[in-house]
Amino acid sequence: MKGFSHFMSGVAVASFGPWAIDAALNGNPLFFVLGGACGILPDTLDFKFYRFFYEHDVYITPDPKNPDPQYVADEYARAVALAVDEKRYVRVKLVSVRLGADFWQQYSVKIDNEKLEVLVKFGPVVNTGQVPVEGTENRYPTVARAKLKAKVIQTYDAGMKVDIFDGPTIGLKPMENGDLDLEFLPWHREWSHSLTVGAMLGALVGAGVWLASGWTPAWQSFVTIAACYGVHVVEDQLGHMGSNIFYPLTKLRTPGLHWMHSGDGLPNFLTVWICCLLIFWNLYRGQPAMTYHFGFLHLMMVGLVLPGLVFGALRWVLNRGRKAVVAKGDDADDEWNDSKAAG
Amino acid sequence: MSPFWIVLLSTLAGTVVASVLACLPGLHIYNVMGALVLGILALEGTTHAIPVDVYLPAFTAMVVGWSMLNTIPAVLLGTPDESAMFTVLPGQKYLMAGRGFEGTMITAVGGLAGAFFLVVVMAPLAPRYLPVSQQVLKGHMHWVLWVIITFMLMSEWPKGGNRGPAGWAKFYDAWKTLLAGLATFALAGLLGFILLTRSPVSHEVAFQNIMPAFVGLFAVPWCLLNMISAADVPPQKTAKSLAIDGDVILRSVWSGGLGGGIAAYFPVVTGGVGGMLAGHACAQRDERIFIMGQGVSKFIYYVGAFMLMFVPGLNLTRGGGAWMVKALYTPMGVADYFLVLGSIAIAAGLSYLMMEPLTKLTLKFVDRFNYRHVSTFALAIIVVMVYAVTGWVGMFIATVATGIGLLPVLFGSRRLNCLGILLLPIACNMSGFGETITGWLGLT
Repeated sequence: MKGFSHFMSGVAVASFGPWAIDAALNGNPLFFVLGGACGILPDTLDFKFYRFFYEHDVYITPDPKNPDPQYVADEYARAVALAVDEKRYVRVKLVSVRLGADFWQQYSVKIDNEKLEVLVKFGPVVNTGQVPVEGTENRYPTVARAKLKAKVIQTYDAGMKVDIFDGPTIGLKPMENGDLDLEFLPWHREWSHSLTVGAMLGALVGAGVWLASGWTPAWQSFVTIAACYGVHVVEDQLGHMGSNIFYPLTKLRTPGLHWMHSGDGLPNFLTVWICCLLIFWNLYRGQPAMTYHFGFLHLMMVGLVLPGLVFGALRWVLNRGRKAVVAKGDDADDEWNDSKAAG
Repeated sequence: MSPFWIVLLSTLAGTVVASVLACLPGLHIYNVMGALVLGILALEGTTHAIPVDVYLPAFTAMVVGWSMLNTIPAVLLGTPDESAMFTVLPGQKYLMAGRGFEGTMITAVGGLAGAFFLVVVMAPLAPRYLPVSQQVLKGHMHWVLWVIITFMLMSEWPKGGNRGPAGWAKFYDAWKTLLAGLATFALAGLLGFILLTRSPVSHEVAFQNIMPAFVGLFAVPWCLLNMISAADVPPQKTAKSLAIDGDVILRSVWSGGLGGGIAAYFPVVTGGVGGMLAGHACAQRDERIFIMGQGVSKFIYYVGAFMLMFVPGLNLTRGGGAWMVKALYTPMGVADYFLVLGSIAIAAGLSYLMMEPLTKLTLKFVDRFNYRHVSTFALAIIVVMVYAVTGWVGMFIATVATGIGLLPVLFGSRRLNCLGILLLPIACNMSGFGETITGWLGLT
């Protein structure tokens, strides 16, 4: 899911703690801030810290002055050969091509396992909003190819598109049958996306709070941190990529449920909106001396079902007779690109 | 003259004045309204006292006209206020592609759609539901601000660290922008504490004390950047069609309405922050929806906040415009609510009609002169405005604020961090420890 959805989920989970609402009514915002921060923290750890310390074996760095797709294809093939020959995990960095303050040369890398080839094509120049610059779409029509020493198996449909800011990392892992397993962003959703890490973080902070303020705020901090951190991991399991749920007890990511892609607009918006309604409901329950009264179902009808039906009906009326084309997303790529595009 | 004609003429006059003034870079309509409020207060009790039927529709129309047309200087002259900040980058891309007219008009359609949403959808529901939400959220506004601040600071993407071997050097390269963002927020917050606690601006211009800081943080850095780096603006084309349909408008209202609504309802949360949150929540990638959504958001932020004061049974004052009018008049019941809604509808229609000729006029100016000179001219107007309203003290504040506002420009961090000027001191005050901090700073 997107960062804001995780963040709001964290705040919503925090709002279920009566202590958070009591503290807020007394001017202490800390539990809600902790909730939001821990909700987004697993991605923050990956994207803002860990990836800068992640070592790579092969850096593929195209020349901005002379973008050569054949160079990229050859280097990719070399990385595959390295993994096959040395029978070890190889980490490859596809470096982005910056053309100016706001312009980037986009390129894509695709694997054709039937022909045992890697295909590389330079696409349009895009701005930092990832919008193509007019007239640059067909500047490089050539598709470069290079032979691969082994099949590269992708467990999800991560199309490797490189454009703004940082380029992606891929991990090539030799399998017993001689093929290579491709891991997109191997540094992502590794140790950070784990329920046990969330619980450990909660225990660590809780211990500090216990020393400073006693037992009650300590366990309240522990519950808030562990639950809000954990909801991020649980939400990510709804997608494709999954998480390493019980690190350090587990070493690999558990594949997700494939219910959604992390960048899908509707599930993300629904998550945010439902979180807002849950927070509102919890605040209502915690508010002393209310003169207005309503039930949970009433709130959901007025806040979610009716507006949703009206919006859906309007869209149906406005789009009647048109063929809706929905771009196929992919979990890891959505999260990577959306994080960057959000600035 | 009958009250109908008085209200109608006041609305029309307010719209026309605000629409023309909106084209001047750096001038906020609240500055003009503040001066008018002081004038009206001075005339109170005399034979020339101005009746509420005149100034209420006029003020409403001024907020409407300005929120619709301030896109023109923001996009075409590169001098945004913070609520128009997000329209500048995509808007200037349109300008650089010779499509400045299109970019501006798409935002205006957003404004008109926002007016429709506000008057036809929100206004009938507001008296029933907003008092309930106000009662529920009472006592919780402070943490909402802290949560927004947390997200704003945590969600910024590191721009550097894209090349080279792994390690601390790469980490530092990436964190330069983030640290600059945090420094911007902290410095803007410090300036905010000073201005809100012990403003050096004379009390006679009390309504304007934050104006030079806002101009310095948001408008002046854009002008300077354009003066230093401006490429030649290509000849501008007038598009025959904006290539938008009902679905684009609906989705823009969805995202912009959410952003503008958040900004209008929660204290200190401005249009820029609301737009950022809505952008994250709605995940709209279409550039037209983004630009139009910003038009919706900006309109609902300014006009919706003003409207809240008149919602029967709500008793909520949000935004500078409403606070100024409150100094003159306390709304009384449904009649005032309908008066304001009617004025919003008329003013929105008229200001939309004024958008096209005023955009074309400004584009002629941009076409005729070198963009660098246009930016210099815009900066000169801003400097004159600041000096005229707040004198040398205001100029000094604007200079300090410009220094802070240049940090994001130089380091490529988020300009929104400049909003620390309001968010930080007011969040601290609302949580009850603002005075402790001003005590540490030696301000109280």
